[in-house]
Amino acid sequence: MAVSFSPILHLPHSLPSLLALKSSRTKISATGSLSSSSSSASQMDLHNQGRQKFIEFPFVSAPNRDLMVNLVSTVEDRLGSHLLPCTLPLDVQHCQNESGSAQASLHIRSGLQSSQVDFILGSWLHCKLPTGGALNITSLSTYLNPSTDAPNFMIELIQSSPTSLVLILDLPPRKDLALSPDYLQTFYENTQLDTHRQMLMKLPEVQPYVSSSLYLRSVLSPTVVLIQIGAEEGGPERMEEIIKNHLHPTAQEVLGIWLDHCACGERLVGEEEKAYMMKRDRLIKKKTIEIDLGTNFPRLFGPEVTDRVLGAIQKVYSI
Amino acid sequence: MGRMILPLCPHPHVSLSSYSTLPLKQISIRKIRNSVRALSITPFEMEQPMRGRALMEFPHLLAPHKDLMVGLISALDKRLHRHLLPSSATVPPEAEYYQNQSGASQGSLCINRGIDFILASWLRLSSPTGAMNITNIQGYLKSSTDAPHFQFELVQCSPTYFIFFLDLIPRKDLVLNPDYLKTFYEDSQLEALRKQLGTQVLEAKPYFSSSLYFRNVVSPTGIVVSITCEDGGTAGRAEEIIRDNIEPIANEVLEIWMDSCVCKGGTTTAGENERDQLEKRDRMIKSRAIEMDLSSSMPIQFGQEVADRVLGIIRGVFRL
Repeated sequence: MAVSFSPILHLPHSLPSLLALKSSRTKISATGSLSSSSSSASQMDLHNQGRQKFIEFPFVSAPNRDLMVNLVSTVEDRLGSHLLPCTLPLDVQHCQNESGSAQASLHIRSGLQSSQVDFILGSWLHCKLPTGGALNITSLSTYLNPSTDAPNFMIELIQSSPTSLVLILDLPPRKDLALSPDYLQTFYENTQLDTHRQMLMKLPEVQPYVSSSLYLRSVLSPTVVLIQIGAEEGGPERMEEIIKNHLHPTAQEVLGIWLDHCACGERLVGEEEKAYMMKRDRLIKKKTIEIDLGTNFPRLFGPEVTDRVLGAIQKVYSI
Repeated sequence: MGRMILPLCPHPHVSLSSYSTLPLKQISIRKIRNSVRALSITPFEMEQPMRGRALMEFPHLLAPHKDLMVGLISALDKRLHRHLLPSSATVPPEAEYYQNQSGASQGSLCINRGIDFILASWLRLSSPTGAMNITNIQGYLKSSTDAPHFQFELVQCSPTYFIFFLDLIPRKDLVLNPDYLKTFYEDSQLEALRKQLGTQVLEAKPYFSSSLYFRNVVSPTGIVVSITCEDGGTAGRAEEIIRDNIEPIANEVLEIWMDSCVCKGGTTTAGENERDQLEKRDRMIKSRAIEMDLSSSMPIQFGQEVADRVLGIIRGVFRL
């Protein structure tokens, strides 16, 4: 399959003049785009243009989009000062196949050396189905580095029709919970995370969902919200209502718990533990790329784009 | 019914049938133990029964439930008798069967050491609102192998509500060891069996234990379900499910465990560091299991004395 990549746009006139400063502080404007005194124009441009395409979340319903935009903005607000701009090439930040029937957007921001964040990854995938409908996947995950052992955060909405959606919402642990009951208590019991799962399970349209990947099942925590929502009876309006009134607030709350207790918390991590976590984190990143991208991308975008995207991601992931 | 507890390597001079008429009560456990020491006969050469009579009676259960338990334990005996000591070596008669003052709550415990140990038990807990029957079989392996442990539990909470748990418990962090996941889980029939139960028994729903620790210990292919039968008061559908669906699946998983774990001996000849890790992890899992399942409910049901006695034995064999 041949691929067309987004053309690089000319610099907009509204960009501030660039000063070459030693500091690498970045300021975040109200729209979330970056203005920086030290990054080169093309770096900023790369970030801003790519982000614009990413934050559009085209193809999904308004409640789905609002949920994602809200989460992304919250992360940017709280952690922006710890994050570098997104430096993926534009044709990796947004790619599509020849006919445009499949499109994907990736937005990855690495953490500063001084921060606890390894990187933040946001993405969406759109793919027209032969049956006439479309598959839409929107996701946001955060990865912390070994200076802390706190859990990561992930959310993924997989919508295969206006009335059918799978939600994964979790704080995946960074340690073997069987050996770390204190860790389990600190991050999972004391935070009452399970109540969110219980609340959503009460909705009549909600059933538990079982991932076909055994590895993914092991990565997820015991309080994971892993559900499928079938709104055939109530129709698309009911689905949107569920997303707006139930999924959205729940996702906000869980992200809030992550930001408060994990991203911004302080943990003491010994050298041995750091080594162990580096190994474990590395494996998770490797395997989840395999699972996430490895299945869909080659089929939708062909081997060339897949390699390009994978290559860029692997560089950021440093694996 | 005939005795199912005979060892399969009888003494050459005693025929099976004559042995089977000996009531166990008349054999002094102490005598047998002493003669074992005196003769230095290895366990499987003795016509020592694997366990006392109390366990295999499995009173109060639906007939298919009892058949299931007897079947699983017989399968274990048949494959593993060479690796196991009789329960009497570990469990004195007063812990092999116990009850509370009124006799309404009863329990039986059987532990065969060797592999590390096989623990089988039934527990009947009576309360003003009704009675619960808990049957459990656990197979723990030593740290000389890293193969998974075996766990089976079937709890009858009411005539029409059951909780069923069946799993091969991983000995390692699966996230860090994808090869282990592949060897023992992805390349096995476990996931197919889990799915099979789901499609065959529509009344089965995922069960979320209130213990997050337990949820995490269970493998990705573990079966943890509740089964609610709308029966109009009879136990017909429950019996059907146990006999036609649970029994075959439980036996298959047990076979898988005995094949890949006991007989093949695990994935690595574990080095000392690994063995330490395994033991540490196993100890944590076992101590949480006891804490969760037994240490709070037993004193309440059976009184402190009985609870201490039974829990003491279990803790001893779990090395806690």
